[in-house]
Amino acid sequence: MKKYLSLFNISLQQEFAYRLNFIMWRVRNVIQILLVFFLWDSVFSSPDRVVFGYDRTKILTYVFGTLIVRAFVLSARAVDVAGEVSSGDLSNYLVKPIDYFKYWFTRDISSKVLNFVFAIAETVLLFLILKPPFFLQTNPLYLLGFIISIALAMFIFFVILFITSAIPFWMPEVAWGAQFIVIMIITEFLSGALFPIDILPQAIQNVLYLLPFPYLIFFPLQVYLGKPGAMEIVRGLSVSLFWAVLLWFLMKSIWGKGLKVYQAFGR
Amino acid sequence: MDKAIIVDRLVKNFEVTERKPGLSGAFSSVFYPKKKTIRALKNISFTIQTGELVGFIGPNGAGKTTTLKILSGLLHPTSGFTQVIEFDPWDRKPEFLKQISLVMGQKNQLWWDLPAIETFKLIQAIYEIPQKEYEKNLDELVELLEVKRFLNIQVRRLSLGQRMRLELLAALLYKPKVLFLDEPTIGLDLVGQQKVRDFIYEYNKKSGATILLTSHNMNDLADLARRVIVIDEGKLVFDGALEQLVHYYAKEKIIKVYLSREDEIKKLRTIGKVIKVAFPLVILTVPRSTAAVAAAEILQNFPVTDLTIEEIPVEEVIRKVFKGK
Repeated sequence: MKKYLSLFNISLQQEFAYRLNFIMWRVRNVIQILLVFFLWDSVFSSPDRVVFGYDRTKILTYVFGTLIVRAFVLSARAVDVAGEVSSGDLSNYLVKPIDYFKYWFTRDISSKVLNFVFAIAETVLLFLILKPPFFLQTNPLYLLGFIISIALAMFIFFVILFITSAIPFWMPEVAWGAQFIVIMIITEFLSGALFPIDILPQAIQNVLYLLPFPYLIFFPLQVYLGKPGAMEIVRGLSVSLFWAVLLWFLMKSIWGKGLKVYQAFGR
Repeated sequence: MDKAIIVDRLVKNFEVTERKPGLSGAFSSVFYPKKKTIRALKNISFTIQTGELVGFIGPNGAGKTTTLKILSGLLHPTSGFTQVIEFDPWDRKPEFLKQISLVMGQKNQLWWDLPAIETFKLIQAIYEIPQKEYEKNLDELVELLEVKRFLNIQVRRLSLGQRMRLELLAALLYKPKVLFLDEPTIGLDLVGQQKVRDFIYEYNKKSGATILLTSHNMNDLADLARRVIVIDEGKLVFDGALEQLVHYYAKEKIIKVYLSREDEIKKLRTIGKVIKVAFPLVILTVPRSTAAVAAAEILQNFPVTDLTIEEIPVEEVIRKVFKGK
């Protein structure tokens, strides 16, 4: 355990060494929020208008919620893993008595903590500037469901990243492409980071709910907003738990195979 | 346990995709990948005793680095048996990894944006080195490698030579029993090379660690390794003492003569092959078996002020080994 604490510590320092990168990443997040905010703000210009089951308060809470949930779920240092596999830098860790998966998980957590702190600050700031109506969830059961779903979401996203990061074992030159597809297309689009999933046609929703992606952003926020009933929450948590376990074993098996064909490039 | 490393009939094949040149070639390789098997190691066997310092040489692509990577558990062997300090490297057991170290001259493990001391603290945690031992090892290595001044400077600001010494420090902080060094002096200037060499020699002597080192730098080998293993195209070509290698491949010896008069030089051609004339020095090669006779003859018949008989430099011998395959 001590090794991972020490790692946590040095990772934080590393994040600070890349101050500018970090600030740009946060700026990008804020701009994205502003964009989505004004979009929905104009759609819901009259306060009692309800579209897709969302009124002004709830949709704006959703938008602000994505800011925080993103910081937790989608900010992951582990996007660098594919590059390490492809460049051969992975070798550095394989020869050390440390678990590569836990190594990155620790680095991720440290990055998430930092992002979280900033996201809170930004939310408060934006809140003061835009003065949106905000829905405060007070039911402890919903809050508990929210926390559990966030934890599962973090884990699922992390494991998905590790799975796509294994592609360079077989095709070393596609390191970045694989990550691009996962992060840009799947997670932004299907996770509910840009718009709530439940505005899509029911048939598409039904398919999406069987996939792991809506459980990254959309589902946790729905729980926070108190939209699903108790049964739906339990079902949602079960599906995401199912995916977490399935993807975990899938990841283990792919990495086991990948390491066997690993060529430890870079001489 | 006196055998630190056992390698028996080791084979390693790589699958690579061939790509034809040009855009259309790149395209067709996506849809019809043409697989090709590269046989990097073909049946290699050797053993290394605990505490030995062995040089591993061969031209580029001979399979040296591949062997080191298999021995440190990075690569999965296609077939054959490997054992390092009684572990199968591929299992990568923590107890195994804690006792070995792989240093690649072209790869760095130090965190680029932080001072090296931070990486060292992390290594302490990863290898679970007790605080007292950590301090002792660190002090000792800092002194040996003369790096005290660089510990608190961001790694990216250091020169290659300074960084390489810190890399070595990082690799040795936990006192590994087996050390794999891949081109440890690559890219360093002469002073830097010498410092690293001296250090490796000291470390081997002091700690009794087993060291397997590859290098293109013949001085590294001449200075450090008593035993060398030569591989070429994945096959073991020679395994034995460095002097033996010289004996085996160098069929000639070198005689250096300093003459007092210039006019006799031409006559030296009758005794051996003159390879350099820079009066008063003349260098010639003679067959190993007749070297003594030739020297005696020169001493009798020429106005000699000084004469030495030397072996052909290791570097040249090795060049011969690779050419004469």
